[in-house]
Amino acid sequence: MMEKIDIHKLSNGMTILGVPMAQVQSVAFDFLLPAGAAVVPDGCCGAPAIIEDWIFRGAGGKTSRELTGLLDGLGLHRNSSIESKHITLSAATEAENLDKAIELYADVILKPSLDSEQFEFSKQLAISELAGLDDDPRHKTSILLREHFYPDPLGRSPEGNKEELEKLSAEKCKQIIADNFNVAQTIFAVAGKYDFQKLCRQLEKLFGSEKSKAEKAITPKKQTLGYHHHAHDGSQVHIGIMTPTVPAQSSDYYNARIAVAVLSGGMSSRLFTEVREKRGLCYAVGAKYSSLKEMAGISCYSGTTPDKAQETYDVIIAEMKKLGKDISEDEMKRAKIGLESGLIMQSESTMARAMAAATDFYMLGKVRSLDEIKQQIEKTSVKSVLEFLNKNPFEKFCTTTIGPTKIKPV
Amino acid sequence: MQFKHKKLNNGLNIIGEVNKDAQSAAVGFFVRTGARDETDQISGVSHYLEHMLFKGTEKLSALDVNLCFDNLGAQYNAFTSEENTVFYAVTLPGQLAEVTNLWCDLLRPSLRDDDFNMEKNVILEEIAMYKDLPQFDVMDRCRALHFDKHPCGKSVLGSEESIKALTSGQMREYFARRYAPNNITAVIAGNFDFEKICGCIEVGCGKWQPKQADRITEYFAGTSKKDSLKRNSLNRQHICLASPTVSYQDKRCYTAMLLAKIIGDDSGSRFFWELVDTAIAETAAMQCEAMDKIGAYYSYIQTSSENGEKVMEIVERIFKSLQKDKISDSELQTAKNKVLSAITIKNEVPMGRLVELGFNWVYLGKYQPIEDEIRRIKDVTIADLYALLEEFPLVPYTQFSLCPK
Repeated sequence: MMEKIDIHKLSNGMTILGVPMAQVQSVAFDFLLPAGAAVVPDGCCGAPAIIEDWIFRGAGGKTSRELTGLLDGLGLHRNSSIESKHITLSAATEAENLDKAIELYADVILKPSLDSEQFEFSKQLAISELAGLDDDPRHKTSILLREHFYPDPLGRSPEGNKEELEKLSAEKCKQIIADNFNVAQTIFAVAGKYDFQKLCRQLEKLFGSEKSKAEKAITPKKQTLGYHHHAHDGSQVHIGIMTPTVPAQSSDYYNARIAVAVLSGGMSSRLFTEVREKRGLCYAVGAKYSSLKEMAGISCYSGTTPDKAQETYDVIIAEMKKLGKDISEDEMKRAKIGLESGLIMQSESTMARAMAAATDFYMLGKVRSLDEIKQQIEKTSVKSVLEFLNKNPFEKFCTTTIGPTKIKPV
Repeated sequence: MQFKHKKLNNGLNIIGEVNKDAQSAAVGFFVRTGARDETDQISGVSHYLEHMLFKGTEKLSALDVNLCFDNLGAQYNAFTSEENTVFYAVTLPGQLAEVTNLWCDLLRPSLRDDDFNMEKNVILEEIAMYKDLPQFDVMDRCRALHFDKHPCGKSVLGSEESIKALTSGQMREYFARRYAPNNITAVIAGNFDFEKICGCIEVGCGKWQPKQADRITEYFAGTSKKDSLKRNSLNRQHICLASPTVSYQDKRCYTAMLLAKIIGDDSGSRFFWELVDTAIAETAAMQCEAMDKIGAYYSYIQTSSENGEKVMEIVERIFKSLQKDKISDSELQTAKNKVLSAITIKNEVPMGRLVELGFNWVYLGKYQPIEDEIRRIKDVTIADLYALLEEFPLVPYTQFSLCPK
């Protein structure tokens, strides 16, 4: 049976996507607002972290308490995240609450109160959260690794930096909202139980009259990679390694995904076997594919005590470098099964489906069906993956460590 | 949803809830054992043993085990807490029988010395990893301070010293005592054929011999002690509070869960408005941990060291003010709505349902349909909340803080 994907454009160009799921009672939705960490002006790093809190402090004539009371009253599970290009506002709840939830989110996006007293609280929270990152070295490693790997401004930290956060004013942030909350470039995705026609009518009424604004162009600097160490008097050395690969639009995308699965799919994959099982070097080790629209990388993480850090790093690099030399048919089969069954299991969650649809549309300009993804995975072979790896070898690395000792990078 | 149950002659319970519309199926083996069933000499053995189950049997090496799971496209893992060790896998429906057979084999591991010695390194690394996560470390330390000599205060991971000193002989002895079939519940959720999976478990586990596997479940209200530790590596102050509440078996555990949401949910709660909205703390949360014949509320707050004292004044005021600044109907209704929608979302995925089903059986010895759970939450009244507060006031509490030097 072919899976149905609903797509509609509002009169101003805003994209509406839907993934109906017959067997669920819940619904999940995401708004991808084009106001991410990379698109704010220079000197304003961290503004999206303030904004995603500030816009919920009263909207549509309702005070912060009234708005929060109404959102919580719907039993909404809310989340906000900041990516390179977007502030993503996500929520999930029981299906009958969808239209009321959308109405409140329209207020938050289009009519936030942006009260200057409330701004100071949002700003202080953003500064505190940034300070708190020091007490989570693993998470901080992943943020710093992205920052060092992707050329500025693409890899900018969603948390911002202290100096720039402290300088930000309510006026400046208001201006960033006015310039970047561009409804025509916003992607809305829903998954679960909903009535698409009714939803589109409601969204047209709420968002359709918003005028389109000029799309922002970004010119990234040159990618530099290299090794960066951040001293931290903790128990472990947290090691992040990233190497360039093809982005999601590439015809080699599925070959790259298989390569990562061979490296770090299940517990029989190469990194887990070589680093943890055979050598007992760490508890956590893994690699994942991560893509922006412009460029992509494969990132690895491991945390280990200082005396084992160099060996852990050396083994990971050796495994990455030798991946292109040989992949067995059995490894290939396992990588495919792992990706395909993971895909189906993930498809049972309304939140995962809505986010996948929104991300697909942003990256590819369309939403892939589960069947299409499955067929593309099936098309890969040992030959195609090895050819891809030989064309795009893992030989340049960006490395970030946080911990009591440094490592010697390749 | 259709519930099924079968008890094998050796005492192993098999329960399942069939949902023919699901795309996947989940199987889990819930062993009723954890840190509270350990002595000081073997502290951390339950969790270490959980790792060792992946090291294989007489016929399977550690790599074989991982290959078998990955060949089936399974998502699999295990976790250990103070009172449970749970092994689980999620697969497409066609692979469930094979993955169940594999778990049945693995639950009788060979516990080889060379695997034991290699895995010791991994466990020590895991202990080091959690030391770098103060938000977890402070909870562990607060729990230990709160429960003092009571078994619920024992660390799941154990200490560097206890793990280094642990022998494979001690682990084998613990395994023989605790992994008895009468101390294990097999749980299945999602799209599967109960008779078929039951058959697999009967063949795989039916010959295991039952054994006495009791647990001491003495009640203890906690110490209400205060302690703190300074560390060079820290930038923020991490505060954990604990006070007693009802157990999992107590009918009022939903009342306790709703009370914790009203006080410490991450949005719209009393903690939220007083501490987070005002930017005094970046995190302030409260949860209810209902356990076997015992229970505790835990609060966790992350703030700057300058704000530490102010935070505690506010928390103390919130705890005490519940009597005069009464809980409103809308606060209770909001908490209910949050819990109810979370139940809907969680139960739509077989893995979410598996955990709920398993713990209900382990603690209550019975099946609780989702509708019953929903009704019990809806039935909670303001009077119930106050009756609970009367019996389990939030002050005094145990407090542990990790602070920057």
